[in-house]
Amino acid sequence: MSGFHSLTVAGIQQEAGGSATSVTFDLPPALAETFRWQAGQHLPVRFETGGREYRRCYSISSPPGAPLRITVKRVKGGVVSNRISDSLAPGSTVEAMPPAGRFVLAPAALARRTHYFFAAGSGITPLFAMIRAVLDHEPHSAAHLIYGNRSARGIIFREELEALAAAFPDRFTLRHVLSSPRLWSGFTPWRSGRITRDAISAAFAGTPPVAQDVQYWICGPGTMNAGIRKALMELDVPAGRIRMESFGLSSPSGSTGPAGVAATASVTVNGSRREIPVAAGQTLLEAALASGLTPPHSCQSGVCGACRARLTSGRVEMRAQMALSSSEVEQGDILTCQSLAETSELAVVYKD
Amino acid sequence: MTAMYHRLPVSAYTSQDWFDREQALIFSRSWRYAGLAEDVPEPGHYIAVQAGLNNLFIVMGRDRRLRAFHNICRHRGTQLIRAVGKSQKALTCPYHDWTYDLEGNLVSVPDEAREYPGGLDKSCLGLKPASVDIWRGMLFVHPDPRAPGLAEWFGAVDPHLGPHKSDQLAEYPEARQTYEIKANWKIVVENYIDVYHLSHLHANTLHMYDHAKAEYGWKGPHYHFWEPPSAAYAKDLEKNLPTPRVIPQPHTGTWVPMLFPGIGIGASEDSWNLFIITPLGPKLTRVENRTKLASASEWEFSKQAWSSQGFWKNFGGPKYSGSDASGEDDPMASGDFTAEDIYACEQQQKSLQSPYFEVGPAAAGESPVIRHQQAVLDFLAAQETPAP
Ligand code: FES
Ligand code: FES
Ligand SMILES: [Fe+2]
Repeated sequence: MSGFHSLTVAGIQQEAGGSATSVTFDLPPALAETFRWQAGQHLPVRFETGGREYRRCYSISSPPGAPLRITVKRVKGGVVSNRISDSLAPGSTVEAMPPAGRFVLAPAALARRTHYFFAAGSGITPLFAMIRAVLDHEPHSAAHLIYGNRSARGIIFREELEALAAAFPDRFTLRHVLSSPRLWSGFTPWRSGRITRDAISAAFAGTPPVAQDVQYWICGPGTMNAGIRKALMELDVPAGRIRMESFGLSSPSGSTGPAGVAATASVTVNGSRREIPVAAGQTLLEAALASGLTPPHSCQSGVCGACRARLTSGRVEMRAQMALSSSEVEQGDILTCQSLAETSELAVVYKD
Repeated sequence: MTAMYHRLPVSAYTSQDWFDREQALIFSRSWRYAGLAEDVPEPGHYIAVQAGLNNLFIVMGRDRRLRAFHNICRHRGTQLIRAVGKSQKALTCPYHDWTYDLEGNLVSVPDEAREYPGGLDKSCLGLKPASVDIWRGMLFVHPDPRAPGLAEWFGAVDPHLGPHKSDQLAEYPEARQTYEIKANWKIVVENYIDVYHLSHLHANTLHMYDHAKAEYGWKGPHYHFWEPPSAAYAKDLEKNLPTPRVIPQPHTGTWVPMLFPGIGIGASEDSWNLFIITPLGPKLTRVENRTKLASASEWEFSKQAWSSQGFWKNFGGPKYSGSDASGEDDPMASGDFTAEDIYACEQQQKSLQSPYFEVGPAAAGESPVIRHQQAVLDFLAAQETPAP
């Protein structure tokens, strides 16, 4: 059921002038059930390069029912994203685990909702799958997208989104916000600047909710998500209606992130306990893997929740905890891929 | 033997018992029309509505989402909100100034420390939520916050209600009116859906449509009806329409559904009208009318009025005239189909009191009358069956 499977690449498409790559897979019928996904989920993949294993999670950008497709933003110096952009071709195989993730929009034929989507950059990928799912499978609902990018050139799925706006004029609207629009690009965004509270308020006034069961979906870098969430709450949106995910690969580089201390950790995996060393700056997951343990993990970017464990003593600092609900955090759950030691002694238990 | 009027006992139209049961089980447990979307146009605006036994209010937040709450202060129950209005961010009860935010949370209690020395858990004293939604430009409320949605309730009948986009039309305020009919609400509904009477009671008032070609049916408890324009009207339809078109060509005809309970719509090529039926007592019913027309310039209205003048000049007339009319203000001599309907409803209601009342056989065109009686019975039965 879980575990890695080899998937064959059916097609490769460059997006937004090569700044991202979409990879479509050929799912053999035998794997269709295992790889069934919900709009908003991602696909954990594994690559080996230079004798090292890299794991990543990439958002699935196609709605359930369509061919499985991930869209990967090319990251400067990123081993995996560049490998995907440069060397995958139809017929290549990719090691992938079944889709995962709890940032999910489940469309319902009789639901009648208004969905507002807020995306920045490659944060569009899971939202694009969600928008398609609403338009195709939630006929009484409407979707409105507010999409931030630096410039027109970097807009992923620009044509596809325009085609949707033309095909569903009563149910889908599209607003581009560009932070540094180029004067001569021939493209006029809805607004320039950032997705501020004023911009959001103007979007609500322009396309107010018709169906009053309203959901707000945010996907972008962590700072943008926090900003939009705050703006929404200032506009009376109750927190319970907001769902967000920050895209995976934004782990803090440089000064702002926690530093961590060297520690000894007692780690329980599959019921057996071991003491392992944790270096300063090393995540608990990295330390466990380095010691030869086999704790569950997948995205290594704080998104999927696969590496969740219960902290039973000591303290950690998490770079991100998006994949945990606040009640899980209260109970002491941590994402080991995001946790650095804060005390020199720790104990964690992976429940199986 | 209880006297029957087709499927229902006559007492269903006359007794306080039946009225109370319908209030509790139908009008307090279904989606109620609450106005037009434009009645709550901006953040902070609100309206209060009576929905069966429940008084609810609708308020818009700055996110432009509507919220609905029971209009009952959680302190001693005073109604928080009167009719229509505008508030900033908070709703304050007039009695002891308990104050709620737009999410219904109790945010302040005056002199809290002194008056409640034992403490007060404000988080348990939020306003009770209800459901609200907009459908075809109309506001609907349901007292239950977890009520099944409008797509479930109206989804099946929706495709039969005509191509009108009522949210894009403009209200014609002169046509807004409320009046009372001295008859049970079901008599008023039955009159609305009685296909048989169209060619008779309204022989001279509604003959621009071809009643013989009417198509009608039911989707659950909701009735739908459509009929094409009559040959004379259709001959030069675009010229004959009294006001500019509200639906695109080639759509023609009139759609006159009756949604459950008591939500009538009458929509044609050039207008969209509401006919909201609210029971006030066993023998008293309120009807509210609102009309929307094309959102077009005065010039376009004048042009259309001018072009249709010739047709309407010779069209229609009173049912009775001359010596048949009982006087100047005889509704049957009015040439107005609403007056004709009110007259028929009130006369019928009077006879239901008579021990000699005995209903005659139903005509084919009266099948909707019987089907509506069944819808009432079915809805009551479903509400009276304990949930599994
Ligand atoms: S491995 Fe995905 S959250 Fe840690
Ligand atoms: S009844 Fe509302 S404050 Fe007392
Ligand atoms: Fe009538």
